[in-house]
Amino acid sequence: MLSRIDAQTTRPQTAARIRRSTDFDLTLPALGLLVLFFVVPVVILLARSVTEPAPGLGNYAELLGSSTYLRIFANTFIVSGLVTLVSLVIGFPVAWALAIMPSRAASIVFAILLLSMWTNLLARTYAWMVLLQRTGVINKMLMGIGLIDQPLPLVNNLTGVTIGMTYIMLPFIILPLYGVIRKLDPAILQAAALCGANRWQALTRILLPLTLPGMAAGALMVFVMSLGYFVTPALLGGTANMMLAELIAQFVQSLVNWGMGGAAALVLLVVTLALYAVQLRFFGTDRMGGG
Amino acid sequence: MKKKFASAALAAFLSTALPAAAAEIVFSSWGGTTQDAQKAAWADKFTEKTGINVLQDGPTDYGKLKAMVEAAGVTWDVVDVEGDYAAQAGKNGLLEKLDFSVIDKSRLDPRFVTDYSVGSFYYSFVIGCNKDAVSECPKTWADLFDTEKFPGKRTFYKWSAPGVIEAALLADGVPADKLYPLDLDRAFKKLDTVKADIIWWSGGAQSQQLLASAEAPFGSLWNGRMTALAQTGVNVETSWEQNITAADSLVVPKGAKNKEAAMQFIALATSAEAQAELAKATGYAPINLDSPKLMDEALAKTLPDRQTANQVNADMNYWAENRDAIGERWYAWQAK
Repeated sequence: MLSRIDAQTTRPQTAARIRRSTDFDLTLPALGLLVLFFVVPVVILLARSVTEPAPGLGNYAELLGSSTYLRIFANTFIVSGLVTLVSLVIGFPVAWALAIMPSRAASIVFAILLLSMWTNLLARTYAWMVLLQRTGVINKMLMGIGLIDQPLPLVNNLTGVTIGMTYIMLPFIILPLYGVIRKLDPAILQAAALCGANRWQALTRILLPLTLPGMAAGALMVFVMSLGYFVTPALLGGTANMMLAELIAQFVQSLVNWGMGGAAALVLLVVTLALYAVQLRFFGTDRMGGG
Repeated sequence: MKKKFASAALAAFLSTALPAAAAEIVFSSWGGTTQDAQKAAWADKFTEKTGINVLQDGPTDYGKLKAMVEAAGVTWDVVDVEGDYAAQAGKNGLLEKLDFSVIDKSRLDPRFVTDYSVGSFYYSFVIGCNKDAVSECPKTWADLFDTEKFPGKRTFYKWSAPGVIEAALLADGVPADKLYPLDLDRAFKKLDTVKADIIWWSGGAQSQQLLASAEAPFGSLWNGRMTALAQTGVNVETSWEQNITAADSLVVPKGAKNKEAAMQFIALATSAEAQAELAKATGYAPINLDSPKLMDEALAKTLPDRQTANQVNADMNYWAENRDAIGERWYAWQAK
């Protein structure tokens, strides 16, 4: 009798304890992997940036004191900003169209978006190279219809990088925006019209403010991803608009100067984390991806 | 690409699982047509002869090599690197000394032999031109740097390595025998004059693409890439005027797991026959002095080792000493 009561009263507690402890235990392997593959290398990198070639902050001083490197920092932000802006301008109407399209048409557009996302990045970048070059399809077409008589320099410069990166970033802005727009109640627009708003007023005073969180979340995501981009700028850009990731690759691969490479990587990491913190602070994680 | 990754993963797995058995070695090179040729001319023959499998990996990455040595987790046994890097890495303790009781160096071109490395093949930076895209092709380095006579984009090797700085100085009138020590101020001043017209190539395939598409109708390329372009039917012209030679080298990273097999592999790769085979496939010159005899004369005379009349040798020792200092200036100038 006694033991029965015992069993009854203690069982739920034990079960809760077991559940709590296994919950934690189950995260251990993941945590261990995270420490092993993310935290440890970052710490080593940080250590190298202040110990090689000489102990101290010399690498950071050189990095932040050189006009060349500062230009690369500035350029990284300019390119990322430009890509974000163009992505928003192109992405918003696409997301809008997707949200109001009949669902069968929308699913076709989605399939196209996702297929392009899943295609190898290098292949997509080379495809742009082929399209944009002097003898590429775009220049040939423009010359063919007599719009230009000299091929436009579309690649190996800022134009090429912006086009290539925008193309790759577009899904990351369309998808969150689509989520936000889908959640809007269509009745709002009707209400606006009933209250006498014209189309322009409905857009600027109702739609844009309501979709702002989605735009901001998507824009920040694209901006942060662009900051660390490597393949596309390296292939479609020129050395004059080099981005930070390429500088890091030069330090590590060619100059074998890990101190400077580590310092540059850390600056990039800190900026990225700071921006990510801003994103979490203002938009939360639930709005990412249109949730 | 996928196959390469799989073989690298397999190599990494096997090298930890079977540390002692040299059932295979891992060879790293630069990919593309050159590595395909190295596989056919060297690796397949080596496997046939010794039963030791050669896994292909790459592209060679100096940062990765250093990381492997430092972490004592070397997964590459033989690596194809640039000559100036080989000289520098040997001094910095990243490489094993080569065993010249296994590798016969008596018939190897002494320009490309050090304690830590032997030549892999040797190439020239030549002036390549797409004849269909322009009315006249630049013949000399001075032509290539003359934007009035030859307007338009030109392409140069992007990385800091022997070749472009030498070309700039030669274009500016420095005599070939007075190139070293390199007058960097003068070189960069000359490079400034064409900077806006340069499209950089970072790999051999890209240089071919730029020339073939006339994105940059002329420029400085590795001679083997010009041979390959001509073979694909592109109407190209190669000028050997003051061609600048440099070599790739074969090295064994410090702590390589299959050192003995690596030495045997290098011995085979530098043999007269293997070097001749590679030269036939790539258009690069053999570093074994007996190889030319084994080649068809028509082909042999298209190789850099027959263009010596007007040849400029890049000084690998100078580069090994000054690689870092030049590199820093080079990249800073490029990004300016």
